[in-house]
Amino acid sequence: KDITSRADGDVLALPKVQCPNHPDAMLVEDYRAGDMICPECGLVVGDRVIDVGSEWRTFTNEKATKDPSRVGDAQNPLLNGGDLTTMISKGTGAASFDEFGNSKYQNRRTMSSSDRAMLNAFKEITTMADRINLPRNIIDRTNNLFKQVYEQKSLKGRANDAIASACLYIACRQEGVPRTFKEICAVSRISKKEIGRCFKLILKALETSVDLITTGDFMSRFCSNLGLPKQVQMAATYIARKAVELDLVPGRSPISVAAAAIYMASQASAEKKTQKEIGDIAGVADVTIRQSYRLIYPRAADLFPPDFKFDTPVDKLPLL
Amino acid sequence: MEQNNSLPPFQGLASPQGALTPVMPMFSPMMPYGSGLTPQPVTNTNSLSLLEEQQRQQQQHGMPGGSGQTPQLYHSQTVTTTTLPGNTPLYNTTPLTPMTPITPATPASESSGIVPQLQNIVSTVNLGCKLDLKTIALRARNAEYNPKRFAAVIMRIREPRTTALIFSSGKMVCTGAKSEEQSRLAARKYARVVQKLGFPAKFLDFKIQNMVGSCDVKFPIRLEGLVLTHQQFSSYEPELFPGLIYRMIKPRIVLLIFVSGKVVLTGAKVRGEIYEAFENIYPILKGFRKTT
Repeated sequence: KDITSRADGDVLALPKVQCPNHPDAMLVEDYRAGDMICPECGLVVGDRVIDVGSEWRTFTNEKATKDPSRVGDAQNPLLNGGDLTTMISKGTGAASFDEFGNSKYQNRRTMSSSDRAMLNAFKEITTMADRINLPRNIIDRTNNLFKQVYEQKSLKGRANDAIASACLYIACRQEGVPRTFKEICAVSRISKKEIGRCFKLILKALETSVDLITTGDFMSRFCSNLGLPKQVQMAATYIARKAVELDLVPGRSPISVAAAAIYMASQASAEKKTQKEIGDIAGVADVTIRQSYRLIYPRAADLFPPDFKFDTPVDKLPLL
Repeated sequence: MEQNNSLPPFQGLASPQGALTPVMPMFSPMMPYGSGLTPQPVTNTNSLSLLEEQQRQQQQHGMPGGSGQTPQLYHSQTVTTTTLPGNTPLYNTTPLTPMTPITPATPASESSGIVPQLQNIVSTVNLGCKLDLKTIALRARNAEYNPKRFAAVIMRIREPRTTALIFSSGKMVCTGAKSEEQSRLAARKYARVVQKLGFPAKFLDFKIQNMVGSCDVKFPIRLEGLVLTHQQFSSYEPELFPGLIYRMIKPRIVLLIFVSGKVVLTGAKVRGEIYEAFENIYPILKGFRKTT
């Protein structure tokens, strides 16, 4: 029997499906065929169980763009505040337009007015990060930071774009791949001053801190942008680190020291780069590179790594 | 000025910051405060001689601190242990009866021997009557007025070399003086100028709003180390500004600390705050002295 009805008149008795031979066995549900199967003897006990799977079959070799199993946008509910609203979309048939050609049902505007600004900011963050090819994890971290700052409302008066840019800067720092303020400026419409201000305000508001930047953080990026080989990059990293250890450049920004180190390393190798080129990539003025270079030049011989192959010997390095 | 309540460091109690009982000021600068709001150096004071010193100081300094006295006076040449220059006269403490237990003497930590020099004082005063800026600008010497750029007359005098912003409401801001007395004098001079031009100027609510001091600790400082240990107070972003910005909480002062050893202190309302802040920061900076 599939459904047993209780004869003792128990009103609340729900029909219990059980295998007649093994009443204690937990039935296994096979949703494909819609059966409830007894695991002990294999008897199909209940059939015509409602199938809660999808109505259409999905093939994995089809284009991943349209996934028919999904019935909504793949939103990130954590960031959005759980947007479970339903919108009425634009009509498609002829009946949805009234006599003048305007669509009859117009109200599509206010989907989530409270977080509209936040969504806008997320879009802006993605755009900015895209310009400098930042990976998804940094974008996610930035979005999280922005959400925290936005909910706190302590920086409410500031432009959202400024907050977003500063969050992007902080996220890059926190992930261990800092970007200079100038690099963030290049992809944002906000000035460096404003980003710097928002940066300090956000750190205070979220009560976090970031690590100090070092010269090595930027070496790989600057050197590959300049097209310098790995040897030169390693030499420049070593030079910059040594220069800071020996305190040859007190008070100089690590970016300037890094740029000067790259200049020295490239001038000693076959791939010579001018100060102007390095300044363009690093966002440092070439006079600044000159200043820092003058400080490290006297100890040039000590700064190079021991196994470096000199194309131009140390004493022939340019004195600029 | 700050009322500094002190507690023996090893008891680890948070000092009741709001307590109004005046306590001997000599404990203030070098004593580690349990609250963690003031930077914690590792020194201790020689209490006995401080008591004597404080008594002596009270007899010496009759006037309130900072009334145009030159910094040398605050040196109290005989001091070998910590004394807070300029603080003592405002405390009418009962000597020899400490409210809080004195720490037993450990070898004296000297005061730094360096006194920050005041560089700028900003003060405001209310002249008490509405002013016509146009007539002031036309008739007074050394006055500029560009209403499209800024809605005040900018007047300068040579004697205490200062600049004043005079607003049409009658309020005035005086900047550039090097001491409190000079600032007051300059403000009075500006008021007299305005009075001579025919306005019924008074001299109401003169108040010093900000004092800036600077000094040199004479040794280079490792800012990276300082920002690591005092993260909640420091902000060091070489990309943004070459100095470390230290926001001290106990006297609410902002210090700009540079690699060369120069220190700028600002945000004080009274001279003693600058001195106190410097005495607080000096032992910490000594700990981050560059050794090469």
